[in-house]
Amino acid sequence: MNRGMQLFRRRPLALISFAIVLLYALIALYGESVYRWHQWTDTTPAYQNQDIEQQYEPPSARHWMGTDGLGRDVFLRVVQGTRIAFHVGVITSCIAIPIGVLLGLIAGYFGGRIDDAVVWLYSTFAAIPGLLFILAIAMVAGKGLTGVFLGIGLTTWVGICRLIRAETMKHRDRAYVQAARVLGYSAPRILFRHILPNVFHIVIVTFTLRFPAAVGTEVFMSFLGIGVQGEPSWGLMLNSARGRLWQGVWWEMTFVTLAVFLLVLAFNILGDQLRDALDPRSQDSSDRSLA
Amino acid sequence: MLRGLSLLFLLALCVVGCGRLEESPAQRANTLYITTSRIRGFDPAKAADVPSALAIARVYEGLLQISYLDRPYCLEPLLATAMPEKSDDGLRYTFHIRPGIYFSDDNCFPGGKGRELVAEDFVYSIKRLADRKVGSTGWWAFEGRIRGLNDFRDASAGEEPTDYDRPVEGLRATDRYTLVIELTHPYPQFLWVLAMHYGSALPREAVERYGERFGSHPVGTGPYRLAHWRRNYRMIFERNPTWRETGRTDSYPTTGEAGDAERGLLADAGKPLPFMDRIVAYVVADAATQWMMFLNGQLDESGISRDNWDVVMDKHRQLLPALRERGIEMAVAPQLRINYLGFNMDDPILGTNLLLRRAITCAFNTEEWIQLFNGRIRRALGPIPSALPGFDPDYVPFPFDLARAKQLLSEAGYPDGRDPATDRRLELTLELGSAGDIEARQAAEMVAAFFDRLGIALKLSFNNTPAYFEKLERRQAQMFMLGWLGDYPDAENFLQCFYGPNASPGPNRANYHNAEYDRLYDTIRVMDDSPERTALYARMARLLIDDCPWVFLSEPLVYTLYNQRLHNRKPHLFPYGMEKYYRLE
Repeated sequence: MNRGMQLFRRRPLALISFAIVLLYALIALYGESVYRWHQWTDTTPAYQNQDIEQQYEPPSARHWMGTDGLGRDVFLRVVQGTRIAFHVGVITSCIAIPIGVLLGLIAGYFGGRIDDAVVWLYSTFAAIPGLLFILAIAMVAGKGLTGVFLGIGLTTWVGICRLIRAETMKHRDRAYVQAARVLGYSAPRILFRHILPNVFHIVIVTFTLRFPAAVGTEVFMSFLGIGVQGEPSWGLMLNSARGRLWQGVWWEMTFVTLAVFLLVLAFNILGDQLRDALDPRSQDSSDRSLA
Repeated sequence: MLRGLSLLFLLALCVVGCGRLEESPAQRANTLYITTSRIRGFDPAKAADVPSALAIARVYEGLLQISYLDRPYCLEPLLATAMPEKSDDGLRYTFHIRPGIYFSDDNCFPGGKGRELVAEDFVYSIKRLADRKVGSTGWWAFEGRIRGLNDFRDASAGEEPTDYDRPVEGLRATDRYTLVIELTHPYPQFLWVLAMHYGSALPREAVERYGERFGSHPVGTGPYRLAHWRRNYRMIFERNPTWRETGRTDSYPTTGEAGDAERGLLADAGKPLPFMDRIVAYVVADAATQWMMFLNGQLDESGISRDNWDVVMDKHRQLLPALRERGIEMAVAPQLRINYLGFNMDDPILGTNLLLRRAITCAFNTEEWIQLFNGRIRRALGPIPSALPGFDPDYVPFPFDLARAKQLLSEAGYPDGRDPATDRRLELTLELGSAGDIEARQAAEMVAAFFDRLGIALKLSFNNTPAYFEKLERRQAQMFMLGWLGDYPDAENFLQCFYGPNASPGPNRANYHNAEYDRLYDTIRVMDDSPERTALYARMARLLIDDCPWVFLSEPLVYTLYNQRLHNRKPHLFPYGMEKYYRLE
């Protein structure tokens, strides 16, 4: 904890981006609780309320970000969109990271045939154009969020798998691993209790860097009409804002774009900062004293 | 993400790169550029949607057609030499086929040369509609109408392949150019039906040669032939060279409705058809893209989407001068169409609960609905469009009234929308076509809001078009939104959408069954036009309005913008095959 505080003190940019990410996370939590509450009470949430009399109203005190074509409040929908974005970011990570980490650890530690097999597998995955692959999986899984989760989750584990594999190879011959082996510990124990904690910084950095990518992909899938159905997602909002944009109805497009932009930017900066701070190779002398 | 974007960019490049038309300016000058929706195919027996029918009518022709300029709409001969001779009892029609009409050249014919059209081709085409294995969407129009045709249909179920040489009593080619059709009952709409794409002449050789692929390989006698088709992207029709080679001359009408001459619609009177060399139809699902393409001059015609309405028109619904100066014209035409929200009467919740259906009807806020479409629609008051006899403007038992809707809902067994079985809100599902269209999505979301105000949770289920129709045909859709476009100007055409035996996959997609209604329909279907028949039409309409198998949503008005280079363009309720009259300048 102390170390974290020092990290932020030395890197104000990290602090700012972390604060923004935290804010988004809180908004997403709020959105989730609103959603759950309305599910529980079986009522219609405010962000679905339509009033055709108020369609396309510019931002005002009543509607901070204006209203859309059906008179719905854009602000409330942007908030709900955050919920969807976090769902996508977190759940796809929960699919992709375990796959990547597990395969990376196994390949790096055992080497040989197993390594060949894993390398072949991820090379094959990497060779398929990512977007087409995602769309194909989403088509098979059906429309809606499940398709998005599986599509993104099952295609984006390659990067982390390669990183973990390379890192594990380095650690495989280190003294502490050899000691563990001499003591007769089983391979899973060595992998998960000894090596994994030492390469875990990669997981953290990868998570922060792939999160915005996943959000971006979701936006884009919903934009194409194969993503979220029935709930406000940023992609859907961008799609519907497009129709009137050139007539000066700028607010929906602008605010949603801003929301996406800020989230992606904050996550990317945070990821970069974390990588600089956690990766031993890029540490300068002052950082090293932290460790 | 960056990788994703660059990929998309590459993909876009690819699409633009390999899709660009290679064409000279001279070619462009005589090519009509239009948009279409995705079509299901070119098989006239299987098409049931407007875009398919439009495409089919460029390639195929029937015995009769609806006249282009005359109003009220009337029939005129196309592949027949004259209107048929009708026997006194109204049962026997004798057609004489025009000699010297040839199918376009195709490999299915010996030597690849198109053969002459004969009366036997119509016998074959109508038999094919009856073939059970074909599963035609047009069978409803012929069922029980032609003597012996139903026996042919029954026999076709067991045979493999169907024996098309089996004679049908009421369907005979007495010589090379004479076709005799004998009906079982008088069928006043029969000639209208023959003018639809179901009455097209198909060459048996093509059907047998291409089999399953026949739908993507049309061979007809029409003014155009399909030169190129990339499914879901672009269709290119070319002037049918057979017309010139065989010396076929069809000419532009010399008479029309009063005022047509003043509008310049008779300037080409008597000139040979068709005028245009090519028709290029793009599949553009997105209204904004379509609009941009139109402004760029890539399209000759464009609809006006909801979002563009106020930049195109002033308060008086006139085209803005700025657009007129750019060489754009506007045409307004009513459509013979009822848009509706259908209830699947086979559904255990909706089918048996009349009060629930009435509650939903009452919850439908027409004014908001019209506002969503910028007033481009009129409220539909029943199954009969306002343009046809039998329409009754005074019978509106379930207008929008939310309080009454809630009352009805509670009488229906769902107080405040609560389903007593689950103690949650009643949940219903509305099936919809394509999700990409912004306008359709907004409309669907508005419907969801109407249900929500009533206390019902409406789930929107978006499908792609083929999947959507498949669900309807399998009766798997609980509710659905669709429109019925009149095939001919007779209310009978709308009323048959509720006739029990026409249930899915026929036009009765709501699968409505009502013995009294069916009895009335059986009565009117053999009646010639008369005040008694009109009175029965009105009575049947009232029955449907009371029974609510549909929520009657709207009658659309079609506003079209088109390029001034397009001449002879007269709004037509049945625009199938009418491009042959268009001329480009």
